Amino acid sequence: MLSVSGLFKQYISHDGTPGGGVFGADFTLKEGELFTLLGPSGCGKTTTLRSIAGLETPQKGRITLGSRDLFNSQSGVNVPMYDRDIGMVFQSYAIWPHMTVYENAAYPLKVGRKKKYSGAEVERKVKEALDMVGLGAFIQRPSTQLSGGQQQRLALARAFTREPDLLLLDEPLSNLDAQLREQMRSELKRLQKETGVTAIYVTHDQSEALAISDRIAVMNEGKIVQLGQPKDIYNRPTSEFVAHFIGRTNLIHGEMAHDAVAEATETVATPLGALRCFFPGTAKARKDIAIVVRPEHIRIRKAGAALEDGDNRLTGRLKAETYLGEIVEYVVDVAGKEFLVRTPFVQPIGPGDAVTLSFAPERTIALLEA
Amino acid sequence: MTTAPEAWDGAAVASRRMWWRRVRELAHISPIVAVLIGLLLVFLLPPTIYLIKASLYTTKPNGTFDQFTLRYYAELFGNPRFFQNLWNSCVYAVGSAAVALSLGTLQAWIVERTNTPLRHYVFLISIISLGIPSVLYTVSFLLILGKAGPVNQLLMWLADSPVPVINVYSMWGMIVVEGIDFVPLTFLMLSAVFHSNDASFEEASMMSGAGIVETFRRITLKLATPGLLALLILIFVRAFESFETPALVGRPGRINVLSTDIFESLRNSIPPNYGQAGAFSMVLMAIVIGLLAWYNRLSRDAAKYQTITGKGFRPRAMDLGKWRFLTAGLLILMFIVIIGLPVGIVIYASLLPYYGGVTLASLKLLTLSNYEQVFASGSFKDAIGNTLILGAATASLVCPLTAICAWLSARRYRGAWMLDQLATMPLVFPAIVMGVAFLYVFLQLPFGLYGSLLSVILVSMVRYLPYGMRSSYAGVLQLHRELEEASGISGARQATTFLRIVLPLIAPSLITCWLFVFLLSVKAVAAQILLVGPRSQVIAVTLFDLWNNGQVTELAATGVTWMALMTVVSTIFYLIARRYGLSIR
Repeated sequence: MLSVSGLFKQYISHDGTPGGGVFGADFTLKEGELFTLLGPSGCGKTTTLRSIAGLETPQKGRITLGSRDLFNSQSGVNVPMYDRDIGMVFQSYAIWPHMTVYENAAYPLKVGRKKKYSGAEVERKVKEALDMVGLGAFIQRPSTQLSGGQQQRLALARAFTREPDLLLLDEPLSNLDAQLREQMRSELKRLQKETGVTAIYVTHDQSEALAISDRIAVMNEGKIVQLGQPKDIYNRPTSEFVAHFIGRTNLIHGEMAHDAVAEATETVATPLGALRCFFPGTAKARKDIAIVVRPEHIRIRKAGAALEDGDNRLTGRLKAETYLGEIVEYVVDVAGKEFLVRTPFVQPIGPGDAVTLSFAPERTIALLEA
Repeated sequence: MTTAPEAWDGAAVASRRMWWRRVRELAHISPIVAVLIGLLLVFLLPPTIYLIKASLYTTKPNGTFDQFTLRYYAELFGNPRFFQNLWNSCVYAVGSAAVALSLGTLQAWIVERTNTPLRHYVFLISIISLGIPSVLYTVSFLLILGKAGPVNQLLMWLADSPVPVINVYSMWGMIVVEGIDFVPLTFLMLSAVFHSNDASFEEASMMSGAGIVETFRRITLKLATPGLLALLILIFVRAFESFETPALVGRPGRINVLSTDIFESLRNSIPPNYGQAGAFSMVLMAIVIGLLAWYNRLSRDAAKYQTITGKGFRPRAMDLGKWRFLTAGLLILMFIVIIGLPVGIVIYASLLPYYGGVTLASLKLLTLSNYEQVFASGSFKDAIGNTLILGAATASLVCPLTAICAWLSARRYRGAWMLDQLATMPLVFPAIVMGVAFLYVFLQLPFGLYGSLLSVILVSMVRYLPYGMRSSYAGVLQLHRELEEASGISGARQATTFLRIVLPLIAPSLITCWLFVFLLSVKAVAAQILLVGPRSQVIAVTLFDLWNNGQVTELAATGVTWMALMTVVSTIFYLIARRYGLSIR
């Protein structure tokens, strides 16, 4: 499928100083998967996507779709965007206001030079695509009369009409309001699975990425910092950046005396006491290692209550309690360090009470990268 | 769509480093950009070079250059009259800028920031007034304020004086006429300044307990200050280089400014003193360049104060309560002074056998014979035809050219920044200087262009390039880049994208650009007066000549006919702009 290697593109800002971009991205897509590029703004995710689309010319690297080079800085290949056979949904939807719904969706079939379609074929394909996204009834409407959600669907239909090998989605849900966003999110996933198209999805919204993706590449400062399935990204972050960017987290620094084996637990000495931690990979003994624990993986009890054996244990004092409806958030002071705990179970404790926190060693993740 | 290309912040050159990058970029320039740069240079380089040469060489009677000399500059700076006229230029420019700015500010604030009744008509009226030739406008004020005009009649009666009380052929007369002439343009530009400041600043001030006047003084005016200052310089420049008013009002009163000096050294000396005109032009141009550079810096600062943001931006009107009838009265008064009286007096004069002021006796003489005479005259029809061709040709050349340049430049094609700079360059030529520069070129060209309508069209095209560029640029900027990218991804090549996506979407702004350039190019005198020949008479120049020949009533009839025609054009312009939600500012 699509493979990107050594992708490098640096922007030069107006005053001539080097700016952001993407500095060496490598990844390969599997057939039919939904692959997400996730990161904060300016991390290079959009640059990567635009380079694949042919909207930007990278300075170095290689992009291959199937067996065809789309871009190769070594051989000088750079297929123009109109020959790449890629469908794309833009952040602004980019629905042409001077055309009807039908004309918008039919445009790719009319202007493409590779394959000529007969009038009847165009009509059939456009109808199919519009039906698929639920716009069949709006076919002759001027596109300016569509709502935001409908424009979004039309943008999707337009990207699908040419049956592209690859679908690119550039923050497609960011302009929708919250409720519609969730609905479109699941519909997007359904459509992608039904058509079997391989898709790259760009977003800065971590919950969106977790919900929709088969695999996620988390990007920061122009580099991919972690690539994996949503649950691995969430449960086994490899760096502080990923741990903080995806969900909220408690961070502890410690020291490890022994080398650690991959997929095993090892003891780390922290200022709060010794903690048994899970190591996703091998690690050499070192002075400073970071450990993260998700707030929802911590159990909180009144001090002295019975607890499971083998769990890491900390005692502290409850500082604050916030009732959020479906969950409760507790802030606990453990030897001067604040811990965040989230649990669906309200505990019979109040601010100032002594509490015990416990969390399983396999939920206490050592970060292999600094 | 805006009426002043000078208001353009443009691609300002931030640092030397950037310059280098841009220069290096020219090595990998895209072919279409290179062709367009070449085209623009063909029109811009020869007049510039010939103008410089004309000031440094003696000229033979046939127009070719002879020997190098610094004589013309020496004569210029050795003559105390030059400094007197330079001083006159400054006083005149400062004065008219002050008049235009104070009236324009008041008008713009009332229209943009209050709930005054009738305020929406000010736009329409300001745009219609763009169609009135400056010559006609100036003449109408001379008819009102002149020796036999109604104002003097009234004052003579009041003061019981046998001689006219005021003399309009004076510095203050020039200032008043030019200042009022600039009010509509000032209003259009200022309303943009006021419009782009968020009303919530004012609301916050009112919530803090400040009254309307205090809010206007401490918030509205303060926020608008950089914009106002930039505009002040702009009007100063325009007045400094203006020709019509000094020629019609100043010259009879023996008050000369630099632009009329240039005209005189070519028209009133035999043989024409090309060298002196060249030296004058160079000095005038140098001053204008300096002022425009200053202006650019200020308008960049003004941009910082503009607070247009996506969300929460809503320019909203302030409720004036019953005071709004006072402001409505002010608007009506301004309308009467700016449009009503001038147009009225011209219509009145056009119906008289001879102009002798506004008297009851003359009402009995009202006649349509001037119109009959004008319509029967072949030269009038020629002039109308020539002017329509001139306007249509200028607009049809300028708009497509600037649309492509603006698009290439907005989409950052390699080297396209140069198109931007080149198309804006004609601004540094005062109108009369541009006429002089092209006069030299046409004199030297072998194809006999001099005096032809084509030559006038070419000068007009160059003169209004910046205006077209500004207007096209605004249209292109409204176009979201992703609309074009979506087309490319769909499999369309660049040409297809331009034809099927870009062109249809910027069509409304192209049409307004066309009408705008048309209106501007048919009303001007200064750039054309030195170039038109018997075969290429245009309306504005015809009016100028009629006044100088004392044919006031024929002038008035011609002017009224032309105004009626232009009112139709500018109303269409206004309606299209409004229909497509294009900003007219």
